[in-house]
Amino acid sequence: MIWYLARRAFSLLLVFLGLAILIFVIARIVPGDPARIALGPLATANQVAEMRTEMGLDLPFVQQLWNYLSGLARGDLGKSLLTSRDVMSDIRHALPATFELVLFTIILQIALSIPLGVLAAVYRDTWVDNVTRIISLIGVVTPGFVLAIILQLIASYHLTFFPITGRLDTALNFKADTTGLLLIDSILAGRWDVWTDALRHLLLPSLALAAAGVGQVMRITRSSMIEVANRDFIEASRAYGIPERVITFRYMLRLACVAPLTILGLEFASLIGNAFIVEFVFGWPGIASYGVRTILHKDLNAVIGVVLVSGVFFVVMNLFIDVLLGIIDPRHRMREASNT
Amino acid sequence: MSNFDMSNLILDISDLNIGFSTYGQYKQVLHDVSLQVGDGERVALIGQSGSGKTVTMRAIIGTLPVPPAKITSGSILYRDTELLTLNKRDRNKLKGTGISIILQDPLLSFNPVLTIERQMRDVIRYADVRLGRKRSASEHQSIMQSTLRKVQLADTDRILKAYPMQLSGGMRQRVLIALSLLNNPKLLIADEPGTALDVTTQQEILTLLNTLVADEGLSLLLITHNLGVVRETADRVYVMEQGHIVEHGTLEQVFATPAHEYTRRLMDSVPPLYGKRVRTVTNEHDVQSAIQIDNLSKVFTRKTGLLRMQRVNNIAVNQTTLDIHHGDIFGIAGESGSGKTTLARMLLGLYEPSDGTISFNGDSVQALAGSEAFRRKIQIVYQNPGSSLNPKRTVAQQLSVPMIFSGERKTAVASRVKELLSMVELPESYASMYPHELSGGQKQRVAIARALSVKPEILVLDEPTSALDVLIQNTVIELLLRLRKEFNLTYIFISHDLSLMRNFCNRVAIMFRGSICEQGATESIFSNPQHAYTRALLSSIPVISDEEATQKPTVTAAEKAAVLATSTAVNQ
Repeated sequence: MIWYLARRAFSLLLVFLGLAILIFVIARIVPGDPARIALGPLATANQVAEMRTEMGLDLPFVQQLWNYLSGLARGDLGKSLLTSRDVMSDIRHALPATFELVLFTIILQIALSIPLGVLAAVYRDTWVDNVTRIISLIGVVTPGFVLAIILQLIASYHLTFFPITGRLDTALNFKADTTGLLLIDSILAGRWDVWTDALRHLLLPSLALAAAGVGQVMRITRSSMIEVANRDFIEASRAYGIPERVITFRYMLRLACVAPLTILGLEFASLIGNAFIVEFVFGWPGIASYGVRTILHKDLNAVIGVVLVSGVFFVVMNLFIDVLLGIIDPRHRMREASNT
Repeated sequence: MSNFDMSNLILDISDLNIGFSTYGQYKQVLHDVSLQVGDGERVALIGQSGSGKTVTMRAIIGTLPVPPAKITSGSILYRDTELLTLNKRDRNKLKGTGISIILQDPLLSFNPVLTIERQMRDVIRYADVRLGRKRSASEHQSIMQSTLRKVQLADTDRILKAYPMQLSGGMRQRVLIALSLLNNPKLLIADEPGTALDVTTQQEILTLLNTLVADEGLSLLLITHNLGVVRETADRVYVMEQGHIVEHGTLEQVFATPAHEYTRRLMDSVPPLYGKRVRTVTNEHDVQSAIQIDNLSKVFTRKTGLLRMQRVNNIAVNQTTLDIHHGDIFGIAGESGSGKTTLARMLLGLYEPSDGTISFNGDSVQALAGSEAFRRKIQIVYQNPGSSLNPKRTVAQQLSVPMIFSGERKTAVASRVKELLSMVELPESYASMYPHELSGGQKQRVAIARALSVKPEILVLDEPTSALDVLIQNTVIELLLRLRKEFNLTYIFISHDLSLMRNFCNRVAIMFRGSICEQGATESIFSNPQHAYTRALLSSIPVISDEEATQKPTVTAAEKAAVLATSTAVNQ
């Protein structure tokens, strides 16, 4: 297991390095002179040239790359042209909100899709199966932002069950300093009023965000449960008198959740993309608004930072799922250890 | 009659009728099936695939899915308890403790993600729960240990910690038997025990089953299609055909004087190893060499370690020299992992040899591989036509693929498809059918026709009949013999089935751990085997008459141990 983890972590590092270089190269290829954009159309050619020197854009490409990578190693992403602050501190400021949203969405996805998929498989071809099929269909076909607006309109505006926008009621006067995640920090501070309010704020955006993944993963869970149900060892377990609930939840589900988890990991990329939109709809103070603004302003340092963070998010998430699969299915781990 | 005593039955099935309704259609599968197993008796239920033997088994152990299955009438008595009307709780109490089952496939019957220990412990623990028994974990542990020793597995600690895939096939089969014995059942149902294993391992498993039945006082119901296995492990037999029991009696009665026509056909279709029924195939053509294999080796290298720097070599084929003549049916026999399939792949140019050469009358396979001329030279028929045919293409499309890739004109292809179908004795109308509409034997005929479509000189037959029932197997073998005669073909027949090989090949080579240990004319190898491994192999083959059994080479345990790794040691 330790070898397995070490190998995965090592490959993570390589992926991260590749990602960093790729983004940098792309950022340098996109048309438009960052120095000109930073100074605006009224700047003189001299000023632009000065700015280029200041930003290090007149150096040879390899030198620029080296400066960028060594800065990255120190945790320095350069200055944002838009906010004139360090990109790193900008991101550190906006990231926890997004992190909380995305993490909660994933938990919601797992908590909804896998049980519903199991239910559909156990009660195959009955009304239960049909109801989950409809839920999954709705989830898959409705774009995240449409669902976000509908939820906001019905549950928040008309029924007023939930707050319309934001992360926390400002009247509560709470600042998440420890982890940056409200749900955790509020518990640490013993503030249950904050916790419930944060949850109420979180629920609708993450539901809107989770829907597409839930629909898909539910169906995959169902079909892999049915596939596993037909294996010989399930019949053997029945013949030896193992109770049906143990067969379903411990034997079948353990094998059947390999495919859904893999898909969840891959779906994570589109989840981050959708989060940008959903954050906008719900006025969520996350990395999305920052990301969109910096992209529109060709604020290259900030764009690189946002993309890197999203990329790391994705890679770490998939590492986590890989490790999880290694725990669930020893063959996964051993194959990895013995060859390939 | 052996120890069969009507007054002391452990299992009594009478007039059982079971059917399945799928998509509103009801189809009866079992017709008035009656079957008895006496206390301490070994009974075999013989039947081909689709005969209803598995449905019977499931009805007994209580895993028949109802619906779609429907038990319309009949009774199944275990001792004096009627299983069909028993309430679910009491029915479940019997599972594993009264009636237990040994499943067929030594890999698929295990949960791949749990250790052997966990699987065994669950079986014991939930039996305790059902029976309201309380036993400690250490008691469970000692039961597991002793049961593993019962199936003659020595290194019990290591086996308990292992995952199923870390054990060899023979060991897995032993652990499967141990699983079924954990709760001291009285009636053991064995579904095709050992038939997925190599013959030498199968032999060990059958011996073990017999010992267990005798020592533990168990009754055994054996469900199988393999008559050779039946002869070694049953006192009485029932023969099932399409849901009917067509014949039953003691083993001696049924095997010596089969009364029903179906039983006779079944017995006749088993290829004999020795005796009058054996057919000796000869090569009437020239003895001109067709393939020369010289000092051929194949080494697979695996890189391991964190940086993939260490290399582990696995020698699949080791310095093999063979000369296959034109018109031969050349048998390459060997157990799994002996290198026979690797050899075949190299012949087809699919693997690059690590050392040595293969040449077709002077043209090396490396020079030929990939060319149209090479495709016209050698083709292959795979083991399982269910997976070697593309399920989304019609028969005609399957047959024309190789022709198109060999540069045949489109117009010629259509008429050639008709010709091919008649060659393999299928009606022309089959051209527009899809594989799922065909039976196993018909599918294999299509696969043969596909291989022949480009008029090759040589066919590699990789276990072409092992996925088929024995009755079907014979018709395919007859077809292959006829085609060879008509089209002057040379066959390379790869198989682990030595009985079949005796009746189909004119020359054989026995492969053992990557090398050829013995080769020569079929008749002389079978009547006078020289190598210890060949002798061990031949002596392990289950045969169906005493006459054949006495002619098998006798091998002492010491001789056997010298060439065979027993399935009781942990595979590392």
